[in-house]
Amino acid sequence: MSRHVQNADSAVLERRLRPIYDWLDSGNNKKALQECDKVIKKTPNLQCAKALKALTLLRMGRENDTNVILDNLNAEKPIDEATLQAMTLCYREMQELEKICKLYETAVKLDPTHEELHTQLFMSHVRVSDFKAQQQSAMALYKQKPKNPYYCWNVMSIVLQATRGEGATDPTKRKLLLSLAERMMKKLVDDDKVDAEQEVQLYVLVLELLDKYDDLIKILDGPLGEKLQCANLSHLKLKYCKKLNRWTQVNVICKEILNESFDRWDIWKEYVNSVFKSTNSCINGDSQEFSGDEFDCADNTAEKCHEFICCVIEGGAANDFLLRGPFLARFELCAKLQENNIPSNDILGDIIELFVEYFRKFGHKPCCVSDLRIYLKLLNDEQKSELATKLVKEVGIGPTSIPQSANQMQRHIGALQLSRLCGSHRNLSPEHLRALVTAFILHYQHGYQAYGKDLPFTDLGPSDNYALLAAHVLYDLSRIENGVDYLIGAVALLESLLKNSPSNFHAKLLAVKFYHMLGDGMGANNIFYSLDIKHLQLDSLGYIHCGQLATTGLYSLCAIHYDTTLKFFSSNYKDSTDHLTFSYKFGSFHKLDEFMDFRETMNNSMHYTTVVVDRIILSLVDCSRLDSLYNLDISPKDNKIEWDKLGDNRDLKVYVTWDPEFASQDIEESEEIKQLYIQDLKFLKLRTHILWSLSCGIEVLKSLDGTRQKHIESLQKILKDWKDLEDDVRENNLKPISEDLIAYPPPSRLHSFLQTSYRTSIKAFMDFFLALAADNEQEADSTCKNAELELESLTQRLEKIVMTAASDFREKRKAMELFVNSLEVICIGCVLCIMSSELIKPSQAKKGKKKQAPESKLKDFLHLLVNQLKTQINKLSDLLTNWSNAVIEKDLVNILESLNLNTHSSDSHKNITQSYAVSCKEIQGVLKNKLKMLDTI
Amino acid sequence: MTTLRPFSCTDMYRFNNVNLDPLTETYGLSFYMQYLAHWPEYFQVAESPSGEIMGYIMGKAEGVGENWHGHVTALTVSPDFRRIGLAASLMNFLEEVSEKKRAYFVDLFVRVSNQIAIKMYTNLGYIVYRTVLEYYSGDPDEDAYDMRKALSRDVNQKSVIPLVHPVRPEEVD
Repeated sequence: MSRHVQNADSAVLERRLRPIYDWLDSGNNKKALQECDKVIKKTPNLQCAKALKALTLLRMGRENDTNVILDNLNAEKPIDEATLQAMTLCYREMQELEKICKLYETAVKLDPTHEELHTQLFMSHVRVSDFKAQQQSAMALYKQKPKNPYYCWNVMSIVLQATRGEGATDPTKRKLLLSLAERMMKKLVDDDKVDAEQEVQLYVLVLELLDKYDDLIKILDGPLGEKLQCANLSHLKLKYCKKLNRWTQVNVICKEILNESFDRWDIWKEYVNSVFKSTNSCINGDSQEFSGDEFDCADNTAEKCHEFICCVIEGGAANDFLLRGPFLARFELCAKLQENNIPSNDILGDIIELFVEYFRKFGHKPCCVSDLRIYLKLLNDEQKSELATKLVKEVGIGPTSIPQSANQMQRHIGALQLSRLCGSHRNLSPEHLRALVTAFILHYQHGYQAYGKDLPFTDLGPSDNYALLAAHVLYDLSRIENGVDYLIGAVALLESLLKNSPSNFHAKLLAVKFYHMLGDGMGANNIFYSLDIKHLQLDSLGYIHCGQLATTGLYSLCAIHYDTTLKFFSSNYKDSTDHLTFSYKFGSFHKLDEFMDFRETMNNSMHYTTVVVDRIILSLVDCSRLDSLYNLDISPKDNKIEWDKLGDNRDLKVYVTWDPEFASQDIEESEEIKQLYIQDLKFLKLRTHILWSLSCGIEVLKSLDGTRQKHIESLQKILKDWKDLEDDVRENNLKPISEDLIAYPPPSRLHSFLQTSYRTSIKAFMDFFLALAADNEQEADSTCKNAELELESLTQRLEKIVMTAASDFREKRKAMELFVNSLEVICIGCVLCIMSSELIKPSQAKKGKKKQAPESKLKDFLHLLVNQLKTQINKLSDLLTNWSNAVIEKDLVNILESLNLNTHSSDSHKNITQSYAVSCKEIQGVLKNKLKMLDTI
Repeated sequence: MTTLRPFSCTDMYRFNNVNLDPLTETYGLSFYMQYLAHWPEYFQVAESPSGEIMGYIMGKAEGVGENWHGHVTALTVSPDFRRIGLAASLMNFLEEVSEKKRAYFVDLFVRVSNQIAIKMYTNLGYIVYRTVLEYYSGDPDEDAYDMRKALSRDVNQKSVIPLVHPVRPEEVD
């Protein structure tokens, strides 16, 4: 009876709460709040309604009110699931995950048999990565409900303590913990309780961490192996045999797999590798691993290996698909022979012929180039140029002929790409390169007319790659002849390509890059939008556009792109703990490590952190009042940046390249990219000092006399650290990375940062501010003079640089970056003037005890500085006007005509100039606002 | 020629050359993560010899009783690696996993306008089981074909008897 009543009650309550959930789900917080108040009025003790009210208020931005309700609720020690859930949501959104743990700890104590509460407690520990607490709650849960998944949660929590907890730095501890995990899994097996595949997977995971490969192989062969229904057992076995150096066995397993599926490239590589490994181990005489039969069918010589490859080729001749696997395996064999200093000719014949033969078979597929490029390293320079010539000849298209079919065209494109990869575009005269461009464009246009029309707009045009090659060669020309016209020509070419193939993202990526090099941020933006970049791409591809905008002065665009990026990161960081809980829920334990790494990779993204800092500085540029300064959260990522963990998440390989340097080498591995990372890191750290010093200055301002000294000292420390770091960076004399190859991302912003007197100017203002804080008239006098001088030299230096800059858009872009930097310095100077003004403002409390005279004297100094700021702002404004009026008018007719494009020379120019005009307008707008603001001081 | 391996989180940093293609949707992170956590065995990526991502397949297993089936959520191949049978190998993989899970059939949705894909699935043995009206939102909304292929457990091929009448998206289970 009583139970029935309770149920009826809960049904009523649920009906009452339903509308609140609905309003919350639809995002109508106002209505939700009204509904909450209504329900609370009717049932004042309904905890869930209060919790939902807290959530609603939080979503309305009233965090303080939320906290009051939550604190009251906490005191009531709720155990009702719905209430706890709503409170969890609040804490989750506020990122106070520890409080969720507390919440459920209390609830579990009050209701210790409640399975769901225990589960939630476990998950709350997962969210904060407290592996020990996880383990304890999983154990408690298993004691309540002895179910296998809970047992596994327990084991997994032990594994994580070993791999990421205390075992991470203590090998003995690690071993101990892992052995415990192993024993626990073994017990489950021995008790014959193993049921699900996930449980076996966990056992496998533990044994792998313990390097117990023999045991693993036994498992695969036994009854537990049958439970691994989704795994490919022979692939697993292969993996473990490899770990055990049982190369004969590896070889035999590979052959078995390849006989069935001859296109598994990873297995082919393993196979060839195992041949040489077993050769070596036979020589060394340590071949105790095999049984007689196995030894017989294993291939341990290059000859046998070649024989096997040939067998597969012959056997597969009847197959529909052309098999590339075995053909490419010959290159792998050749690579291994070269590695071991064994001549390959005896077995494989002429190596160039190998390439030609492969090309003959597969040249009509675009993937042929991607297959062969990694093996070009087998050839020396001479052989490469021989191959390039042979391939072009093989296709049969001379200077005066055109492809007769789409297939032949693809072969031609492939041959040209491979020939570029062989280095044949290097060391050509500009004339020769120009002739190439013309030829490529003609081929592109012919190919488009013949095979590219009437395709769906989502397809890439079959001849597009000619145009892309032409764009690459134009880029080469722009580097060799230092001619910006080629770059403008390349953009015109890409734009015209995009009219025919609006989906060609390769062309778009290139166009964005070139536009930015020319300083045309608006042009880049238009193309960028059409790439529809979102979610994680904001991180991996953020560098192509968002990362460049900061140097353009296009502040409105900056704000949009920064905010989109930041929103992605912060909301995903919150979500990322949920993914961990899913993993436990579904038993995909082997994904946990990956998920945790991924979470860190994302949160430690250099691009993300840079955008965080750029966004705050942008707000400072806009800031014209004290209260808006106070409202600004000026500490990037709550000062929790883990500098040594910051990583470069750029996807650099999104840009296709046929430069010989990157035929087989990864661009990420190149020296330039390593340099760039160091430079970017230094830049970010230097730039963050602006924020640290400012945030400390605000503390000085806010503090009362008693604690002020402490903040003054930390400010001085920050300024000193800043100087030390900058001296160190300058001493290293870092050079911008090369821009000669198209695949390199833009050079670091570090260099133009160092060209601008950020630190000395800001320090001069800070010194003045500190003199005011110390009430030191003499200091104020001298520091004021110093700041005035700094300001003057800031604009003078800028003037010198920008007025001598060559009339080239690339130079102009660099000058614009310096304008933007100098403006930042000016704006931060303005912020410091606001702060100084507040500092000496006679307050009620001070009035009595302080003398009037020195205060007004201090004010006079501030006015001197303000006036100097105004003078320099006017100067900067005039400078910008003069600079932007100095239009670069140049005739592009020649280049555009030679490209055979129907683009008007004046149009190309006009678009770029327009983008500069927008930047100038935005900068002038900021300057005007600053003047207005300074008038109020 | 492929290396098939399980899709991992870091692949999301590298799959741009596939995902920038206009027919491939880039989803929110949680979507991928959910699949990785729940059906990791169904999420495979194909890598080229040079280490590029050529394509990938995402799927899941769901349904009760005779409706227990494998589902293809996303299948995509980079423009540079088309027409080499890659989609077929990825589909083949998903079918094998579904076989191992003793599923009755595999199904997928495809835009009725995507003739190339429909033809490919037909070649792989899929039939149009039913039309789902206005399944894809857009301007205008587009219908989907729900295509199916029976697996060995469905001995009598009951799952692939086409429905005569189209259904609404909300009627799809």
